[in-house]
Amino acid sequence: MNDMIKKLNKLFSSVRLTIFLFFSLAVTSILGTIIQQGLPIERHKALYSPGVFSVLKFFNIFDMYHSWWFTTLLGLLSINIIICTSRQIPRIIKLIFPEKKGVDDTVFRSSQIRKTFQSRKKLSDLEQQSEMLIKFLVGNPVKVKQEDGTCYFFAEKGKYSRLGMIFIHISILLILVGGLIGNMLGFNGQMNIVEGNRSDTVILFGGKGTEKLGFDVRCDDFTVEFYETGMPKEYKTDLTIIDDKKEAASGTMRVNHPFIYKGLKFCQATYGIAGVSDFRVVARDNRTGDETVLKLNMMKKVPLPGSNASFAIARFVPDHGGMGPAVLGVLLEPGKAHDIFWIFQNGRNINPRQKGAFAFTLKGFSRLYYTGIQVSKDPGVPLVWIGFCLIMIGFILSLFFAHKRIWLRISGSHDKYKISIAASVSKNRKIFEEKLEELTRETTVE
Amino acid sequence: MNDTFLISIVTFTYFSAAFVFLISIIFHKKSVDKWALIITFAGLILQTSAIIMRWIHSYQLGIGHAPLSNFYESLVFFSWSIIFVYLIMRKRYRNNLFGILSAFFAFLILAYASLSGNVNCTIQPLIPALQSNWLISHVISSFLAYACFAIAFGTSILYLLKIKMKINILPDAPFLDEVTYKMISIGFVLLTLGIITGAAWADRAWGRYWGWDPKETWSLITWLIYGAFLHARLARGWRGIKMSLVSITGFIAVIFTYLGVNYVLAGLHSYL
Repeated sequence: MNDMIKKLNKLFSSVRLTIFLFFSLAVTSILGTIIQQGLPIERHKALYSPGVFSVLKFFNIFDMYHSWWFTTLLGLLSINIIICTSRQIPRIIKLIFPEKKGVDDTVFRSSQIRKTFQSRKKLSDLEQQSEMLIKFLVGNPVKVKQEDGTCYFFAEKGKYSRLGMIFIHISILLILVGGLIGNMLGFNGQMNIVEGNRSDTVILFGGKGTEKLGFDVRCDDFTVEFYETGMPKEYKTDLTIIDDKKEAASGTMRVNHPFIYKGLKFCQATYGIAGVSDFRVVARDNRTGDETVLKLNMMKKVPLPGSNASFAIARFVPDHGGMGPAVLGVLLEPGKAHDIFWIFQNGRNINPRQKGAFAFTLKGFSRLYYTGIQVSKDPGVPLVWIGFCLIMIGFILSLFFAHKRIWLRISGSHDKYKISIAASVSKNRKIFEEKLEELTRETTVE
Repeated sequence: MNDTFLISIVTFTYFSAAFVFLISIIFHKKSVDKWALIITFAGLILQTSAIIMRWIHSYQLGIGHAPLSNFYESLVFFSWSIIFVYLIMRKRYRNNLFGILSAFFAFLILAYASLSGNVNCTIQPLIPALQSNWLISHVISSFLAYACFAIAFGTSILYLLKIKMKINILPDAPFLDEVTYKMISIGFVLLTLGIITGAAWADRAWGRYWGWDPKETWSLITWLIYGAFLHARLARGWRGIKMSLVSITGFIAVIFTYLGVNYVLAGLHSYL
């Protein structure tokens, strides 16, 4: 049993596992970008043979990022991070807060960077030069002790940059935990509400059913503005929340500017036309040149003035063959067969449909929009944001700062001093060594 | 003057810069070296002016937005980023081969942007989803990351050439290895920032910071590959051919994140 724990501990404290998990997550993630995720399962069923389908379904490939095995990989990664990081923390604390202050002669034998040379200069000159050297390489030196003629200097800079690595790894954990919380306690779906209507039901993404909000969302008004090209420029919805039979809140939701109520985020995602009504069609009497505006609704017959014929519209299309909105007109004349033809909007076609005694043009209609709202609840978000901030702080600490330490000892007597330098840097060691070499060259005496 | 015309001059300038860098390597002349740098710098200034001009022009058209919002504009910014990153890295890692590499990369991207038939270079109005303050920070950090990875890809290829073909004029293998590592570590931080700004934006636009959309997933795949690179090097001490292969794989993932997702897979980012 103890052996088992030891083995597991060894496995989870290895960076080899991290690299393996990173590659496994990367390779398996590709799958979900090829097979579309979050579709209702019936849509996939038709595409595969029953055998393949059942295998894919077992591995939950159709929602693979939430599957048991993908979650397991993320779980293993979390354990890996926890064990590796917790092993590093004592080492880093020791580096930041060393137990004993001062200089120990062993550093001149054990440090990464070491240099010893001799000089015949005066002690005061050497001390001054040493201070300059340390100041240039690391920072303001501390003269530690001076006994039996031996003199020590020490300087340190950027020790907190060591925390960067810890911050980065803790932040990854925070983001993973935040994601898990969001998955368990949150939801994400859409509601489409026609102008003037209200709803309390969100249709969840991925065919996961519906969610009752416990209050009503009313779409008071929807407006859309277009560019000259016909592309939407801006669209927004005025919303009112009706909670407990009272108007609890109201506001405007625009794309990229969500409306928030009780921790739920309402994002303007899409819009569409729920219906059209109140068509206005101009009927021009070809004999007299008189124009009459007919107010029409679908399948409602109206008489044509100055004749015994009547007129109705049977269909509406938002865009007929690239010529814009059109209605299907029906001309009814006693004793004749129905005449059916498309009628286009003003200016969109040069020749309005000529029909016997009348010419018709579509003048206008009112659109009834629905607003498409993405509703989401995610209690994990604050944790994720903290993780995002912490990871950037961690990166800045480890990228722009380095932990540098330098020790210098002057020993010997007045005719020939021995200078020993020891240093340790957390990165860019080569550059540091080159600088040290350059600075000590002129002082060195063989 | 038109910004796209200016960009065609920049294209030519980067080609000349690559050529002069090549001459400086062949003849080992300091004076030529200086000229190569001057031409590259002039190209960057010209390109920056072209980008600013396009920005102003979009406001004159009444559809003002930062020129970072369609494929053409992203290609222009990508090549700008490569030259920008090169000029900064040059301070520490001076080698004219990197100059050839960067200038030629920037030239190829611009040539594709100007000459390819499927890149529309007109200034288009911004769809509502792209009208966000996050656009600029998201695009800048992502493309600076791509530029770092592109240079790391170049140095990895040089590394393989050095080891396998023993080409003399190439810099020392450990030096190339070091440059690859440095570019990847900076690129990794920028990519992380790009993903975070993207997540913040997605949270504003769709109410979720992460939705496993193909573009998001591919950016994560890229992040994982380079993350594995950094762990392998820093904690396991991997060096050499293995590392350059990981770097090359990472850049393939970058290209797929940038282009493949739009051309091969469908997703929410399909407007870019």
